[in-house]
Amino acid sequence: MATYSTSAPVENRVTMRLVQVALYVILIVAAFLSLVPFYWMIMSSFKPLNDILTIPVTVIPPHFTLDNYTNLLTQTLFLRSILNTLVVAGSSVILQVFLCSLAGFAFAKYRFRGRNLLFTLVLGTVMIPVSVQLVPNYILMAKIGWLNTLLPLIIPTAANAFGIFWMRQYMYSVPDELLDAGRLDGASEFGLYWRIVVPVVRPALSALALFVFTTSWNDFLLPLVYLRSQETFTVQLMIDSIFRVRFQQNFDLLMSASVLAVIPMTLLFFTLQQQFVAGLTLGSVKE
Amino acid sequence: MSVTNVTTPSVPAPARTSRIQWHKLAPYAFISPFFIIFAIFGLFPILFSGYISLRNWTGLNPPIYIGLNNYITLLKDPDFLNALRNTAVLTLISGPLTIGGGLILAVILNSKLVRFRNAFRTIFYLPLVMSLVVAAQVFGLMLANPFGLVNEALSRLGLARVNFLNEPNLTILVLVVLIVWKYIGNDLVIMLAGLQSIPPELNEAALVDGANPLQIFWSITVPLMRPVILFDVVLSTINTFNLFAEPYSLFGVTGGANQSGLVTGLLMYRTSFQFFKFGYGSAMAYVVGLIIFVLSLIQLRIGTRDYER
Repeated sequence: MATYSTSAPVENRVTMRLVQVALYVILIVAAFLSLVPFYWMIMSSFKPLNDILTIPVTVIPPHFTLDNYTNLLTQTLFLRSILNTLVVAGSSVILQVFLCSLAGFAFAKYRFRGRNLLFTLVLGTVMIPVSVQLVPNYILMAKIGWLNTLLPLIIPTAANAFGIFWMRQYMYSVPDELLDAGRLDGASEFGLYWRIVVPVVRPALSALALFVFTTSWNDFLLPLVYLRSQETFTVQLMIDSIFRVRFQQNFDLLMSASVLAVIPMTLLFFTLQQQFVAGLTLGSVKE
Repeated sequence: MSVTNVTTPSVPAPARTSRIQWHKLAPYAFISPFFIIFAIFGLFPILFSGYISLRNWTGLNPPIYIGLNNYITLLKDPDFLNALRNTAVLTLISGPLTIGGGLILAVILNSKLVRFRNAFRTIFYLPLVMSLVVAAQVFGLMLANPFGLVNEALSRLGLARVNFLNEPNLTILVLVVLIVWKYIGNDLVIMLAGLQSIPPELNEAALVDGANPLQIFWSITVPLMRPVILFDVVLSTINTFNLFAEPYSLFGVTGGANQSGLVTGLLMYRTSFQFFKFGYGSAMAYVVGLIIFVLSLIQLRIGTRDYER
């Protein structure tokens, strides 16, 4: 800023100052609006139900309590649902990162018959909404007895079209000389992938892993379709079911469950923000 | 156990004699685990869905071939037309707000006029971390009548309390607010990535020539960002047509008062997984998929034509 405001006329500098103030106002208002729901969720989780349901509304909990959390953990299967979600998200991460990087490596670094056709086939399905595949997959799951298990949340999503595209782009950056050197040293083809490629593309792998984990953790439609009994519920489905039990009156449990469901994601976000943003662009900028 | 069978790539040990052969087979071995799963759970269902859509299949009865009847019924189904209309309205309102808002925030955060840019960026990304279900519950609480935060604010300002969640005219508005809040960070990411490809000298040169920031925004930023904006428009249209968790959590599977929040995602779920009309639900999914495809094509066509001019 200092570089050009000194060379610009005084009049210009005044407008710049005004613009600057306006920009700050926009940013602060937007930041406030972004944060209010978080604040409200956290504060409400520390209020007894009575305080949540009364007017005038209190901005700071008048009778601070942790009961909502203890009730949530003792009266519902919330902890179990966290465990289920960890299983689903964890297996999805391992499967998707492995399958997509291995296939992405093949698409980027090998010439083979049908390469372009197969890749186009995968990319062509990206635009097709999930709902098109959902009914046949549901029927399939019913036939093979996977309904009400966590498998339909893990296996079908392993063939992630975005993931393969993302990995292929990254694999291009692996120098061919590195692979040739490995071959000269007598490495097997899989050894090339495992010992040379994986270490080089590690940042891309972790970005994909984070993206998969978040998607899996926050997914709602698939668990809703495939899961029936509470023991199998994922976190998001559990929150929804707490909501449905006593319609619209159990905000005490709901808000504490919400806080606990958001905390892991927030922690991941703050520790790995770089990869997180890279993962966001993954689903977005495809050039 | 079938898990491990499907997913572990079959990697034979490289035999010393067939070294060259193996090199040719390797890519197929590497892509096959992905493609086996892709074929079973990605590709086959797309085709099978078409097969189901030509049948009367409720899950209880065996499927009966009925030709295009499902599609014909669909075009006269008031619920489907209502859902299409609601989704279109929602797209037309929330799309420009998130994209425009994302672009404005990105331009501000990309300029050197403000400080604490990283802190602001982090704050704007934060809603992306919250799941849709949780976001819907928190908004439900904040918009509740009479004990919600928003109604409290309204009454402190001397305005009447509003029944946000049961008022048919406000359903779409509530969804718009939730979508904008939740996704503006996503648009911000896309826009920031795009802005970084604009050379900063352009803006500086314009400033020296006496252009004001608004002129720079309209005459330099927006035209250069056109492909990115266009891409974002396509993306947000697709997302709105897939919208499900927000209206489901806030208004239930009916879509709220007078079905005013019934969007295509909700109707598809209801048809297939509440009424178990698999045939009809599949036909609906195909038509919605086709609409998304055509809309994306139109948007891309219009965008590139203007861009080339």
